[in-house]
Amino acid sequence: MTVTPAVEEEEKKGEKPKEKFKFSFDYFNESRLGIFALVVGAIIAVAAFFPSLPAFVKGIGVMAVILWGADSVRKTARYGLGTGVPSIGVLAVGFGLVGATTGMAIGSEIYHYFGSIGILGALAGVAFMAVIGYVSGVLANSERFIGMKIPGLERGMAELAMAGTLAIILECSIVAGSWYIGDILSPIKGYNIAPVAFIAVMFILAGFGMLQPYNSCLGADERRGRTLLMAIEIGGINCIILGAVATLSLGAVQGVPLLVMGAIVWVVFYRAYMKACMDESYATPGTGLIKTLGG
Amino acid sequence: MEPITLVIILVCIIIGGMLGSLGVHLLPVGGAPAAMATATGIATGCVMLMTGSAVTGLFTASSVATFWESNPSVLLVSLSGGVGAMLMMGFTMLIANLIYIFGAGVVPVSGRAAVDPITKESQTEYKTPRTDGHGVPNVCFYSGIVGGFVGGFGGALIYVVLVSSGYAGFSVETAVVVALGIFIANAIMAAYNIGGTIEGFHDPKFKERIVTGLTCAFVISLMCGIMVLIAIETGTLGAGGVL
Repeated sequence: MTVTPAVEEEEKKGEKPKEKFKFSFDYFNESRLGIFALVVGAIIAVAAFFPSLPAFVKGIGVMAVILWGADSVRKTARYGLGTGVPSIGVLAVGFGLVGATTGMAIGSEIYHYFGSIGILGALAGVAFMAVIGYVSGVLANSERFIGMKIPGLERGMAELAMAGTLAIILECSIVAGSWYIGDILSPIKGYNIAPVAFIAVMFILAGFGMLQPYNSCLGADERRGRTLLMAIEIGGINCIILGAVATLSLGAVQGVPLLVMGAIVWVVFYRAYMKACMDESYATPGTGLIKTLGG
Repeated sequence: MEPITLVIILVCIIIGGMLGSLGVHLLPVGGAPAAMATATGIATGCVMLMTGSAVTGLFTASSVATFWESNPSVLLVSLSGGVGAMLMMGFTMLIANLIYIFGAGVVPVSGRAAVDPITKESQTEYKTPRTDGHGVPNVCFYSGIVGGFVGGFGGALIYVVLVSSGYAGFSVETAVVVALGIFIANAIMAAYNIGGTIEGFHDPKFKERIVTGLTCAFVISLMCGIMVLIAIETGTLGAGGVL
């Protein structure tokens, strides 16, 4: 008699988010999402060498990679890092800066000597960064060194380093048209600035997409589906800003579709995220400062 | 490129990374408790403080490096980076102290030392019970200034070695980006090593953990340095080396 209601209540709790909300990322669990984003990101990053690839395809790659990074941040930061969630997101793009620079240099050099097979060289940067990320995870987790004792930190840091590298390579190629190092380092037509200088912006854009979702959603009732919605939303904001930059550097044909796609993604996923928050919270008084959906 | 130049670049990257890590350990970092004035230090994480001061250091270093046509003096540029970062830390600590003293109404006092090791002022009487100190007292201020200088020097050392045409010969933007990446990786590993709050060199935590922190910085700078050497060897990243 006494057991049955408790079980029922538990079942209800388990079902509650599912029935109210469809973006639950059930199929894309942590491993599947990682493999999917790595494959999609790597294919688009290699193809991004060719300037004819439309910028919005690269934008899709950026969003997939940022989603993966946000998931890895969530996986590692939920045990408590001691220095705040942003540190691990910034670490990811910090590694990404070194990895992307090296990857682009290696790819361009091999392309220069051996033709188009060389564009796979960019993935060398990703692979090196995976090793460095894994080693730094071992250093951080091992009892003999820092001893953070976070389960899966090694894998998380390796994933984050790879995601950061892919994100920077893709975003560079959006601004410059290609990640060919000659295009990256020579000034944009009509402006006295090289695309590599935009890495300072990309650094915080990509880092923001990875660190902000878990940083703002963490808490007792944090749900993976809801957190990742925000990652896609920030991916959309990334696409809007990069679209504006690409319109200046490459022209409207490349920039405007990316900008429009980013705006659509942002609006759709902002609505979805706000709806999820409204549905899953007990009560929501609106302040009136931001126009929320019926809130 | 000649092997000896590559070795010098690698050594400078390792020294720069280790100095950055040492600089983070010297900062008065208060974290979240300091936001309520219940811990000594500035109310933010190591990463924000060190990134802020290192970026300022890189600004001053890159401005000073433009005075030379091609071969900037390594020592002068690194020193200017150190001074820039030092000033940034100094202003941050000064303004934080103004807010703590005149806004929150607390006395800057160290929680970890009974007597200030430099000025010999007694600390314990001024400490509110059940807190871990407040504000940025003298010894933390000195420690923070030295930390900012050391960290900025390290970041600028990586930058100048990468940008100087006598060594790696990267373009200015690439050198800044790579130096920032290596520096941030080291600063964050140091932040994880500290794990929350630290007051400076007089903190018992400093003695306990500095060896581990420097070891990790050595390994990470070595690996990042090897990657940078691979990038240098391709010869595509230089200002004049664009294909």
